[in-house]
Amino acid sequence: MRPFLITFGKELLIFLRSVMLVLVVLYSFTVDVYVAGQGVEMKPRNVTVGYVDKTGGGISQKILSRLHMPEFKPPKAFLSQKALSEAIFNKEIRVGLVFDRDFAVDYRKGRPAQLDVLLDATVASQSLITLIYLKNIVLDFTDLAMPLQIKTHKLFNQNADTHQFMALSELLSVITLLVVILAAVVFVKEKEDGTWDIMLLMPVSPKVTILAKSLSQVFIVMIGTVIAVGWVLMGAFDVPINGSFWAFVLLTFFYSFSSAGIGLFVAAVSKDVMQVAQLSIIIMMPLIFLSGAWTPIYAMHPILQKLSLLSPLRYYIEGTQSIFFRGTDFVDLWPYFGGVIVLGALLYLYGFRKIGRLF
Amino acid sequence: MPQLEVRDVTVRYKKRVGIQNASLQAERGEIIGFIGADGTGKSSLMHAIAGVIRFEGEIVYDGVAYHSPKEAERIKAEIGLMPQGIGLVLYDDLTVGEHLQFFADIRDVKQDEAFYAYRDKLLHMAGLSEFTDRLAGNLSGGMMQKLSLICTLLHRPKLLILDEPTTGVDPLSRLELWEILDNIRKEEGTIALVSTAYMQEAARMDKVLLFDDSKIIAKGKLEELVHEIEPYVYEKSPCEECLTIHGKSFSLKPLDAPHTTPSLEDIFFVNALKSQKLPPKIEIGARSDGTELPEIVMEAKGLTKRFGSFVADDHIDMQLRRGEILGLLGANGAGKTTFIKMLLGLYPIDEGELTLLGRPIRSGKDRQKLKAKIGYVSQHFALYKELTVRENLLYFANMHHIPPTEAIRRIGRYAEELGFAEYMDDFPSSLPLGVNQRFSVAAALLHEPVVLFLDEPTSGVDAIARAQFWEMLRLLKQKWGISILITTHYMSEAEYCDRVVLLKRGKKIADDTVENLYKSHPDAKSFEEIFLSYYRENA
Amino acid sequence: MKTRTVRAFALKEFVDLYRSRMIVMVYLLPVMILVLFGYGIRMEVTHARVMIIDNDHSKFSKELVAKFEHSKYYNPSVVQIPEKEALRSIKQAKTDALIIIPSSFEKRLLHGQKSEIGVFVDGSFPTRATTIEGYIQGTILDAASEVSARMGMKPKGMITLNQRTLFNQAMRDEDAVVPGLIGLILLVAPAILSALLIVKEKEKGTIFNFYASPLSKAEFLAAKLIPVFALHSLNIFLLFLLAVYLFDVPFRGSFMLYWLSSELYILISLSIGLLVSVITRRQVVAVVLTVIITVIPGFLYSGILMPISSMQGESYIEAHLFPVMYYNHILYDTFLIGQGLASEKIVLYLGILVVFFLFYFAAGTLWLKKEMR
Repeated sequence: MRPFLITFGKELLIFLRSVMLVLVVLYSFTVDVYVAGQGVEMKPRNVTVGYVDKTGGGISQKILSRLHMPEFKPPKAFLSQKALSEAIFNKEIRVGLVFDRDFAVDYRKGRPAQLDVLLDATVASQSLITLIYLKNIVLDFTDLAMPLQIKTHKLFNQNADTHQFMALSELLSVITLLVVILAAVVFVKEKEDGTWDIMLLMPVSPKVTILAKSLSQVFIVMIGTVIAVGWVLMGAFDVPINGSFWAFVLLTFFYSFSSAGIGLFVAAVSKDVMQVAQLSIIIMMPLIFLSGAWTPIYAMHPILQKLSLLSPLRYYIEGTQSIFFRGTDFVDLWPYFGGVIVLGALLYLYGFRKIGRLF
Repeated sequence: MPQLEVRDVTVRYKKRVGIQNASLQAERGEIIGFIGADGTGKSSLMHAIAGVIRFEGEIVYDGVAYHSPKEAERIKAEIGLMPQGIGLVLYDDLTVGEHLQFFADIRDVKQDEAFYAYRDKLLHMAGLSEFTDRLAGNLSGGMMQKLSLICTLLHRPKLLILDEPTTGVDPLSRLELWEILDNIRKEEGTIALVSTAYMQEAARMDKVLLFDDSKIIAKGKLEELVHEIEPYVYEKSPCEECLTIHGKSFSLKPLDAPHTTPSLEDIFFVNALKSQKLPPKIEIGARSDGTELPEIVMEAKGLTKRFGSFVADDHIDMQLRRGEILGLLGANGAGKTTFIKMLLGLYPIDEGELTLLGRPIRSGKDRQKLKAKIGYVSQHFALYKELTVRENLLYFANMHHIPPTEAIRRIGRYAEELGFAEYMDDFPSSLPLGVNQRFSVAAALLHEPVVLFLDEPTSGVDAIARAQFWEMLRLLKQKWGISILITTHYMSEAEYCDRVVLLKRGKKIADDTVENLYKSHPDAKSFEEIFLSYYRENA
Repeated sequence: MKTRTVRAFALKEFVDLYRSRMIVMVYLLPVMILVLFGYGIRMEVTHARVMIIDNDHSKFSKELVAKFEHSKYYNPSVVQIPEKEALRSIKQAKTDALIIIPSSFEKRLLHGQKSEIGVFVDGSFPTRATTIEGYIQGTILDAASEVSARMGMKPKGMITLNQRTLFNQAMRDEDAVVPGLIGLILLVAPAILSALLIVKEKEKGTIFNFYASPLSKAEFLAAKLIPVFALHSLNIFLLFLLAVYLFDVPFRGSFMLYWLSSELYILISLSIGLLVSVITRRQVVAVVLTVIITVIPGFLYSGILMPISSMQGESYIEAHLFPVMYYNHILYDTFLIGQGLASEKIVLYLGILVVFFLFYFAAGTLWLKKEMR
């Protein structure tokens, strides 16, 4: 136990001695998470709308009045459809609405009234959501004969607040990136400086040294995570924790630990810090891709779905979202824990064999 | 008017001064030696003359005066600079032939028949004619340095600046490098400024400049300099305010002892006395428990290590006996480090048998119990740069399960005995190499091992620190009775070993006691010559 | 400038890149980024896992369920479990949305009584939730209007949207994402390579060959940057082929415009790399610094995540200070719109890109010193 604690403490001391590194880590866990949460907006905002109105007012103006800030800028009137199209081509207008003469007549007479929408779809994500917004507005003007009502509940995040979501996602990326790189660097630096050979020759099992070194980096990341959750997520963005905070801490611990295993793997196969950088990129990108961060796993190709089982990030993202937003019960979290623990164990076994022994 | 004149040149870096108020003059065809320890300003002055760094003062070459790198552009076609570091200016992924082509191209050398004749001559002189297709990354250290030199010579520079071109190069290659140099200066009238860590080479120079503390402290012909220190050199005798190294005593005050002939390195010792930088006295106290060693501490039979098709160590037999200092000598790439790493288990053994402390070693498990008995100091002193000396030592002590009070006691003792007590709270990178070297040995001694493996502990360390280091090893052997295996490429250090093994290209070519080797080579004046004869025989 | 010297030096760079296998990274990384992100970023939702609890079992409710079953957007499962258990399935992230059709749903509607369908959507991924919610509402209303029309009920007012999406009719994510990615890749990759080529010599010490030789700064730069320029010029075509043939992105503009503006953009990128190499000494630092100053603005201001017109305050101004926005405007035009030089805005943006290049290149050249520091 003593060699473990001593090595653990030594790594923390070394970390604290590098002021630059401490600053970078602190920056990543605070400013970076904050900026990502604050900055990126997936909902439509300031969408420029243009319209051509040939109905002479009434229902068309009622619809237009529903397009308001912050989602839409005040709609701009155009005289002809041609002028409107031109503005869209120059990217000055993103959504064009054309109310033709028949529109008002049809609507009054209860016939399906057709509203033409011109949409600049170069930014598909926002266009899609803009379209759904429009549909919702138009729906309110639709009065079916039957008294059907739809009551939707957006669970866990009633307002579909993207700030909270983006801040949490960024935190998860920061955790992944830092723990892999920090862990890889502490090992490869010892290899580069030649101190690793000395460690192997100490009358201490190299497994203990390896675990102490990676856990020290996990510990650094955990501290950062607690700062980020307490200060940025809860302080600045009011992210709820619907599940158990301790479940999150525990899951983060196991996840960081298995990611440190990836770092160990990277360090074991690279010669210098340069190779660590290259290899980390090549390994991390598919891992993030396969994690379901961008594409839901069920929408992937079946082969990719199988491969995604290998990405520890997959379990972590799903698990964390479950804890924060879905408030999943602790017992239902076991697949996530199982996934990260099994993957971590395999990576460490490889690391032990590759750099943790004498011949 | 001399061909090259340097007046009052000072080079400053952000935090320190590189060289201060240096002046020198050189005529056509002269070889000027820059001699001094690491960090005394040799490289700074060379960089200033080559016009690659900003400086204060004036340099005049061939009537052209320059005060900055920009002004030096005018004479760069005349200059050849070979900076310090093995293969520093070479590209690992280019072949020897491509290098010559590249250097000719960037210098815009006209490639006519005369050029090809000159190129072939250089290749031949360097012994690289057969290797034009080999990648520079696969050359040995000596070949790399020779290639760097001929690349620097390719455009026939009139001012050649060579920064430690021979460090780490095997004795034979070193001899060849000097022959190339000698030829060129005779044929072309080139001025050569050469720095070196080997005092023997100073004898081949027309003039030497001694560097210390960022200043030039003495200049002149070597014989004159040696002659000047004669009054201060005595046979070994007890004295105060003096220095006793390698069986000689140096004192500024007259001693009651017969004088003896000074050697080249003695210049440094006398200089240390003069500048009152007396190195601390080395002592070694008794160890806490006795040493019990078998007669044969280590026995290797046919040890072999291959990297792909390259055989680093080819069936090497070796024995390390009780209480013996065994020197493992050879050029860079001869297989010394690989051999030690096999002994320690850092590399797998491809073939052969190894017995350590009477125990046959077949797998990593056999080594577990031996770990506490072995001490190891690796090349470049593997230390944690972010930890102070004290923290480093405490960490190693803890890892060896030494109780804290005992650890603090031992660390304090070594700090006093090995003379680094004043540096305990400094970071290794801010300390002179010599201090780092002694404290890494202290780290390897903390657990009081019975056998010590030292991999090139003296490379890059200045003469005084090297002398102290050997004094320490001698005391260790004497007081503790432990066995020591040490590798070095300073052939002169073989004198301090009990027995030496000489490796060449992964093969053992000599294995005998120092006396026997001298006996079998009656003509040899120094160890260097004995090894040269071995290297030639086995060429 | 001595062309022979430059040619020889540049040739050495090629050989070095080839033998050190760096060449693999030059082409592997861009392709990997394009393929992974191109396939990876999906805003459109398909196969949403919808759980339907049908408490009615009427003709109408079955028709409604069938509507869900026949859509590519859903992957529905009809179950008979208590609501609580179904909600737990959402908590376990096994279900994205839950639709509950109340009992006597059809009967009440036919009698003109109110009936309410409950929809529960997992909101932990907000944009996905909004999209799924919109889909479900649309599907239900569709079914309702069909049924009511068949039964002869007359709606009092009804508006249908006739959407005509321009430039990207199918609203494919690929069309929207892939051109933006090209803008990101061609900003990051040449910058990293050019920074590395110079810093590598600094770190190894071979930079002395330049310092100590009569080689001029211009010659050295030409020798270092020409190979990067040439190698990445090939990427322009490679990325184009991937976009058009692998991702089926339409190409409506002029290829010449695409090609030339991309070459200009590469020049800007390698000038950024040059600037980085002036201030760094170690390869790792150079890589990290280049990534930080190119990837983040490259992503944020690429228009992939949000259009520049939606930005506010500082980020709107910042976006104009990076070359990405201008190049991407041209890029999207050549792929999806095809106005080309007929648009004044594009000519203006080309001019701005030239200014970017001249500024960065001049700064890098002036700062690069032929001496040690």
